[in-house]
Amino acid sequence: MNGVAELLRHPALWRGGDAGAPDTVPTGFRALDARLPGGGWPLATLIELLVPAAGVGEIRLLLPALKRLAMTESAVPRWIAWLAPPHLPYAPALADAGLDPARMLVVRPRAGSDRLWAMEQALRSGACAAVLGWAGAADGTALRRLKLAAEEGGTPAFLLRPATHRGDGSPAALRLALAVQGFGLDVEILKSRGGAPARVERLLIH
Amino acid sequence: MFELRPAPSVPAAASRRRALVPLPAPDAPPAPGRDELWLAAHFPRLPLDALLPGTWQARAAVVTAPDDPRRTVVACNERAAHQGIAPGMGLNAALARVPGLRVEERRPAAEAALLDRLGRWALQFTPAVSLEPPGAVLAEVRGSLDLFGGAMELVRRALAGLSSNGLSASLALAPTPRAALWLARGELALTVTRTDALPGIAARLPLACLHWPEDTVATLAGLGIANVAELVRLPRTGFAARFGPRLLDELDEGFGRRAAPRRRYVMPERFDERFELPAPAEAVALVEPVLEQGLARLEAFLRARASGIRVLRVDFLHRTHEPTRLSLALARMARDAAELRPLLRERLGRCRLEAPAEALRLRSGVLLPLHIRDAGLFERGRSADPESTARLLDLLRARLGHDAVFSVRQVAEHRPERAFRIAEPGLTAGLPVPWPAARPARPLWMLAEPQPLDGWDGTLVTGPERIETGWWDGRDVRRDYYVAMSRAGVRLWIFRERPPGQGWFLHGVFG
Repeated sequence: MNGVAELLRHPALWRGGDAGAPDTVPTGFRALDARLPGGGWPLATLIELLVPAAGVGEIRLLLPALKRLAMTESAVPRWIAWLAPPHLPYAPALADAGLDPARMLVVRPRAGSDRLWAMEQALRSGACAAVLGWAGAADGTALRRLKLAAEEGGTPAFLLRPATHRGDGSPAALRLALAVQGFGLDVEILKSRGGAPARVERLLIH
Repeated sequence: MFELRPAPSVPAAASRRRALVPLPAPDAPPAPGRDELWLAAHFPRLPLDALLPGTWQARAAVVTAPDDPRRTVVACNERAAHQGIAPGMGLNAALARVPGLRVEERRPAAEAALLDRLGRWALQFTPAVSLEPPGAVLAEVRGSLDLFGGAMELVRRALAGLSSNGLSASLALAPTPRAALWLARGELALTVTRTDALPGIAARLPLACLHWPEDTVATLAGLGIANVAELVRLPRTGFAARFGPRLLDELDEGFGRRAAPRRRYVMPERFDERFELPAPAEAVALVEPVLEQGLARLEAFLRARASGIRVLRVDFLHRTHEPTRLSLALARMARDAAELRPLLRERLGRCRLEAPAEALRLRSGVLLPLHIRDAGLFERGRSADPESTARLLDLLRARLGHDAVFSVRQVAEHRPERAFRIAEPGLTAGLPVPWPAARPARPLWMLAEPQPLDGWDGTLVTGPERIETGWWDGRDVRRDYYVAMSRAGVRLWIFRERPPGQGWFLHGVFG
């Protein structure tokens, strides 16, 4: 039974009944999937993750989805793009997590203004299975451009920003705030197109 | 520019005038087969076009011979011709007619370079191209007629290509290369496809189209000879005695009575051209039109070779400074200007000139055979396009620099800082790296250098994992690694050197 449910969530599987539901990829965390419309990360749009500090578990939160996105490929392999990450993605850890390091495209622009440009290009190109981008300040126009590029390229855009931007308006289809609670990670759904705000506690245990 | 039409009166005229042609010499080699058809392109304004691209010839302009006290006009543009200037006129006379005349000195090197470019351009029609200095190009196109939809279509295409490059040319088709040249130089709107039709049009060819020495032409004119038909009526032996056997050979070649093998044009292996700027450019943006022209030429060059490039260099040449150099390295082969333009534009946007640029130099790297891509067969869409990855790579690198975009690989090595390497993005999986079956968790983020943790007051979660290796290359590590939790709730990978004492170092973040 579980296997069928898993299979039905496969992003490559299209069911006649769910034409109206957004295309999603499961997050790999059942508690979170249950709170998200379509049961996972929406594809081809902008997802904003607000993190209190780099490294609280945001990558581990994304890993199961990245793995799935990297695997459910057409004939042409695509990249997982890392735009302006705070540190270097460590290949042995990626391999341990089941992600082929060769699929990673790391982009480290020198100028801050190039970050969003590069992210937009990566999204629009359709050459990436997923794009992870780190940005600080970004105005509404820049974010809307990212969202548009994600829709155009059919690529999910995970934008990681400091939690201080929580109060800013955002066109993102899904907006989450991560918070460390003791040894666990709480995820708060601030905004969810087609869903409702919610809080999922202790999603990740350190 | 004129339209080429088939010769209307050839058959009747040919039969009437054939008797006037001297008989072929008995020892003459067999006439070239009727299979050949030569396209000649004559460029009467080549000396001018080589210096000023057509689009900049808004003003009346002439080119003068350099070592000539009279400074005779060698070539003039249309505007100058309208105002009464003609080649052969002295510069003073020309200036008297048009006081604001732009005067350039003839540059043989530039003309040779342009002719070379034209040879390259002609290779798109046939592999049998030969240059005819100073101002013509020949191409044997019989075999290509079907491919281009007939002689008229081929000529139409060639003319369109030349005029879009701002070049004025006159084209002609004839069964022998020399006759084609004569027709082109004579600017006769004629196409002759058969050797036996050639004598019929000889009466319409003035002596000037032979490009013979001036005194020879003058002597012939003194004899009352005005065109080639009258010329070939002269007795062969007398002609050869008076003007030399070479000119007689030329006539025989023209009429197909003597074979005239031509040296084939061989294209240089790399593209390397210089483009003059209309005015010194202080900003990169100002050179864009010229760059565009350069890319178009590069594309034509590459198309003719069925090749692509992966390296393109652009030099801005200054009057005094060293050139400003730019190099564009591509992830995949490119040929078309449309592919190169956005990449170059990104790159140029980051470039600053130290001094005004006088000219541009565009150089290609080695040419690589380009597999024919059937445009339109594959949609340039999302994941269906195997080139989208390479295109993205090129675009990012053009703006951000080559080293700002990379991939990572695993390396079978126990020292954590050496267990990975930066790699060229390629999407092809590396060889599987053998690892001990069970390895403690590794952090997803790695710091470039371990950072000393002063006053560390977080919590150790798991550990130690002892890593003690590398003694063989002198960069041995002896460390105890721990997974720790910072006050902010970030899971860290930290270590202590062994023997303990130097304090803690942060090496990774679990992310």
